[in-house]
Amino acid sequence: MTDPLIALSDVTVRFGGVTALSGVSLSLAPGEVVAVIGPNGAGKTSLFNAITGFVPLADGAIRLRGARIDGLMPHDISTRGVRRTFQNGGLFPEQTVLENVLSGLHAEVPGNPLAILFGLPGARRAERAAVARARALLDLMGIRHLERRPAGSLSGGQQRMVEIVRAIATDPPLLLLDEPAVGLAPPVREQLAAIVKLLAKERGIGVLLIEHAIELVMAVADRIVVLNYGEKIADAAPEVVRADKAVLEAYLGHA
Amino acid sequence: MTGTAGSGTDRASFAASGRVFWLLPLALLGLPLVIGSYVQYIVNLTLVYVLVGVGFNVVLGNLGQLAFANAAFFGIGAYATGTLMYHLKAPFPLALCAGALAGGLAGALVALPALRGIRAFYLAIMTLAFGELMRWIYINADAVTLGSMGMQVPRPTLFGYVLVTDVDKYYVFLAVVTLLVAATANLLRSRVGRAFTAIRDNELAAASIGIPTARYMVLAFAWSGVVVGTAGALYAALVRHVSPEAFNLLELILHFGIVMVGGLASLAGSILGAAVLTAAPEMFRDLPGYEELLIAILMVAVLLLMPKGLASLLARASPLFRQRYFRD
Amino acid sequence: MLAQLLVSGFAQGCLYALVALAMTVVYRATTVVNFGHGDLVMAGAFCVYVLVVLAGADFFLSAALAVVLLFALGWAIQAGLIRPILAGPHLSLAMMAIAVGYALRGGARVLWGREVLPFPKVFPQGIIKLGPVILSPSDLIVAGVVAATLAVLAFVFLATPVGKTAQAVFQSPRGAALVGIDVGAFHRTMWGIGAAMAALGGILIAPITLLYPDMAASTLIRGFAAMTLGGFGSLPGAVLGGLLLGVGELLVGAYVSTKLIDITAYLIIILVLLLRPSGLLGRPAVVRV
Repeated sequence: MTDPLIALSDVTVRFGGVTALSGVSLSLAPGEVVAVIGPNGAGKTSLFNAITGFVPLADGAIRLRGARIDGLMPHDISTRGVRRTFQNGGLFPEQTVLENVLSGLHAEVPGNPLAILFGLPGARRAERAAVARARALLDLMGIRHLERRPAGSLSGGQQRMVEIVRAIATDPPLLLLDEPAVGLAPPVREQLAAIVKLLAKERGIGVLLIEHAIELVMAVADRIVVLNYGEKIADAAPEVVRADKAVLEAYLGHA
Repeated sequence: MTGTAGSGTDRASFAASGRVFWLLPLALLGLPLVIGSYVQYIVNLTLVYVLVGVGFNVVLGNLGQLAFANAAFFGIGAYATGTLMYHLKAPFPLALCAGALAGGLAGALVALPALRGIRAFYLAIMTLAFGELMRWIYINADAVTLGSMGMQVPRPTLFGYVLVTDVDKYYVFLAVVTLLVAATANLLRSRVGRAFTAIRDNELAAASIGIPTARYMVLAFAWSGVVVGTAGALYAALVRHVSPEAFNLLELILHFGIVMVGGLASLAGSILGAAVLTAAPEMFRDLPGYEELLIAILMVAVLLLMPKGLASLLARASPLFRQRYFRD
Repeated sequence: MLAQLLVSGFAQGCLYALVALAMTVVYRATTVVNFGHGDLVMAGAFCVYVLVVLAGADFFLSAALAVVLLFALGWAIQAGLIRPILAGPHLSLAMMAIAVGYALRGGARVLWGREVLPFPKVFPQGIIKLGPVILSPSDLIVAGVVAATLAVLAFVFLATPVGKTAQAVFQSPRGAALVGIDVGAFHRTMWGIGAAMAALGGILIAPITLLYPDMAASTLIRGFAAMTLGGFGSLPGAVLGGLLLGVGELLVGAYVSTKLIDITAYLIIILVLLLRPSGLLGRPAVVRV
């Protein structure tokens, strides 16, 4: 068997005396959608922060296609192909939609400083190519008409779409979505589900999804991982998890 | 907003109108024909402060980082240039480059703690300490700086030709300022400028899309230092007297004022801010206190009533003046 | 010699501690770092100068009046200038504090020009001998006032609901508002208290040194040095940092060079931020990106 896209083994994260994640292992294959669910404070966002390098591991290892990525800086992990969105929205409000997506392409726009300073043809060509690529992405998601709007002026649903476009701009193999459906109207949620499926099944992107909206999870997830008090208590197909006693208790116990 | 936003014709018209900006320095070529010698001096000083504002704005407006070291970069540029010309009799172009380089190095140095995770207020306090430390050095390293009396800078020369009058200096200044403002505009409209504003708007998100944020913070400070250091070099050539007093906290309020009143993160704003405020210290030379009071009140007014400064009036008049972070 | 330096440095450090403490209170309660605090100290000193020297009022009455006036000024700054832009970027809040500080400094200069003003000796003169150590009454007064201020603050923040309120407002103003805290009034009061403490500092400094509008800058930087050394945001840290800075300045002056006294504070800021950004008692202050 080849290496999985991403593999966590015994990942532990501590904040001071609090253990946010303890010994979590999981793996994900290209094109697979795995939902991470669990009560508030179960360690879901800590899991994302650990994978993307925003918090250090106390123990364990994270491998992307077999190569260790834990301990790298967040921007390094990002350029290796792990991209994410943020629970509270991670757009740059003062940049326009187009500029946000261009920022997403940052690592792939060549940047010779002297060429940039003097506005040499090479730098201009690189910029034009990046703009064309960004516009193509916006077209793909049908939000090209928003390109000149400052991101901060968009509706919640539009912001979520732009953030996803920005995250996938570089064609990353792995995408982490942190509660993308929060605050979205039901039709927009369906649109979101379709996009997640499209990214996974047609582009082969592995998607790790934190989500409370259970109908969205059921609609898109190939597998569900359940976290409780920082530990993994289930990792199985949606139908199996739905019938799992420990999962029910974890939720009911907190309800 | 039209449905053809960003289409081919749109792009062409934008590119064409972008060239309009080159008309300003061209028109300014004729200025000495219509003004007197004292006004010429003020105009030269304004060119110096255009660079001060444009450079400071990169850190304050685009990077969004509060900093107090701008007067220090200005002073370092002036002292580097002055020292080379006074002690080593270096030609002005060389001394000018040294001033720019010294400013850039100082900028990078102040921001180095960013690589160790120092941010926001901590970095701001660091720049404050650095600025005051530099003033102490100007006074105490008197073997080089000639202490609190300051040094008399020789007349600048350009390839053997001595720049005697303010009109001579004006054309040199205009060329240098145009070059650096254009370079800064190019920088801001590239992936580098986008990285600066991305860090300002949301640093974690910036890191999550592959931007090495700390390195870009150092880069922003370094470029800011180059531009402001060059301003210092021109200042040394214009005023021909470099002393610690010229780079104190009173000088800094003028820098803050130019950026804030002109408009954060706006190149056009910094130029406008310099045009409006450069004369303030000259006007109030014999009235201590009025300069600070005027600039401080203008800053308060801008913060309360017009957060994007005078540049927002320009942007309202024409989309050309809206700062863009890409080119197509 | 050493004992004398330690005691004198301690007395000097009490003043720095007071400045750092006031800035920390405002920061902890409102998340705004008051870059104009040095100017409030200066304003407090000029207030007593005007009342005592120009109006001929009694020193203690003038001091009380200055504290009240500065409290009102701090309250008004928050209500009129900070509150309207509270939702904006943090940079704007800092710029507002800077602008207000410069306006105060400019105002002082407009009224007094470039003069340096001597203040009458209102504190008892003479010396107090404690073995080999010589103390002046003003040292004792300064230390006493700072200790009393500290005791009051400690009581208010540790034994009354104010401490909990401050914590709640600092972490989430919206959350605090939801549980019924009048966040606006709390912010205004805290700005008032910070300014009143600045006045106290100015009153204590005035009889000891000469007055001039630019005293604000060195006061501000020493306050920051004390906060940085003790740990930014920590109340005990502000006191500890202030005392250590006071002693450190005198030790550096005595054993290295008097020229270095002026830059001890700058060097402390630079070294602490480079080597131990959390300071002595603070929490880690670095980001991981």
